[in-house]
Amino acid sequence: MNSKNTMEEQELLKLLKDYPVPEAQAGFYDQALVQAAHQGTQRQRNRWLMTGFGSAIAAGLAIWVITAMLMTAPQVPDVDPAIPGVTIALEQEQTVRLVFASATALDSATLTVSLPEGIELAGFPGQREITWETSLQEGKNLLPLTLIALTPAGGELLARLEHKDRDRTFRLLVEVS
Amino acid sequence: MKDADQSHVFERVVRPHFDRLYRLAWRLTGTKAEAEDLFQELLIKAFGMLDQVVKIEEPGSWLCRVMYNLFIDQHRRFSRQRMLLVDEGHLPGEGLADLAGDFDPVADNERIEKLKHLDAALAQLSEDHRIIVLLHDTEGYKLTEIGELTGTPVGTIKSRLHRARARLRQILSEDGTFS
Repeated sequence: MNSKNTMEEQELLKLLKDYPVPEAQAGFYDQALVQAAHQGTQRQRNRWLMTGFGSAIAAGLAIWVITAMLMTAPQVPDVDPAIPGVTIALEQEQTVRLVFASATALDSATLTVSLPEGIELAGFPGQREITWETSLQEGKNLLPLTLIALTPAGGELLARLEHKDRDRTFRLLVEVS
Repeated sequence: MKDADQSHVFERVVRPHFDRLYRLAWRLTGTKAEAEDLFQELLIKAFGMLDQVVKIEEPGSWLCRVMYNLFIDQHRRFSRQRMLLVDEGHLPGEGLADLAGDFDPVADNERIEKLKHLDAALAQLSEDHRIIVLLHDTEGYKLTEIGELTGTPVGTIKSRLHRARARLRQILSEDGTFS
């Protein structure tokens, strides 16, 4: 390595040492613990119930016993954890910010936002589908969407990104409080 | 064990490692929203394995490995469908927002500018390279520790680290950061 490279390496290492991590917000650890105990316990119970259910069938036990247990067991929310979600207030403009991660810069990409019934994009009253052309930078790209819930139904928002012959659809669950 | 007892035992075992785990989550994901999600998912998983967790000799290292595996699983799952929700003030690059100044506005600005360039340069690395360089050069993990965490041979990590630094030097040289 020549001297220029050595100096650059030293400067790089100094910068990397300085590269910050913000501290966790006050109260985050406590909340995370409470949530872990709550959900972790549910998972333990659900796992036990599923095991019990399988064993019951294998042993030919009466299904109604298991059904009764399942009915009294804590309900597992029917939500796909893979889909991010947001809760917005009824009849109030609220901005959600989506970040698209792109491996490369994309010029002239087309973005189409499809809204669930009862949710509108501010400035586009009555439109369930809005399309526009955009460019994406390499890395993370921010897309702020100002939503208004006209009914409490909520639903799934789809953001479809198309570029040349490729496309991706992103999903966002919108709940209304 | 009662639920309340379980919670206390769990907290006693995991809380001492929270700062280390949060930093790791941040280094792996790069945003506050994702770091918090990953941290939370780890705790939920670990709580479900409480019987095993209490018997582990070095729970900190074990938790780091579980977190890394969760991250890899999620990344593979979402690699074709990455969309994040971020709150006001929690935007990408947010890690640079709260930098403490040295009471020298010119020096501070220059330093923050350079760190922004570094932030952008890191985003251009492959994920493997970004994680290795951050864990080694920023967090101070040893090569062997990274090897244990990622399940990658030390020789491979060494060469990736070398290539990652070289690529960062190239990017930062081209964009004028190293002038």
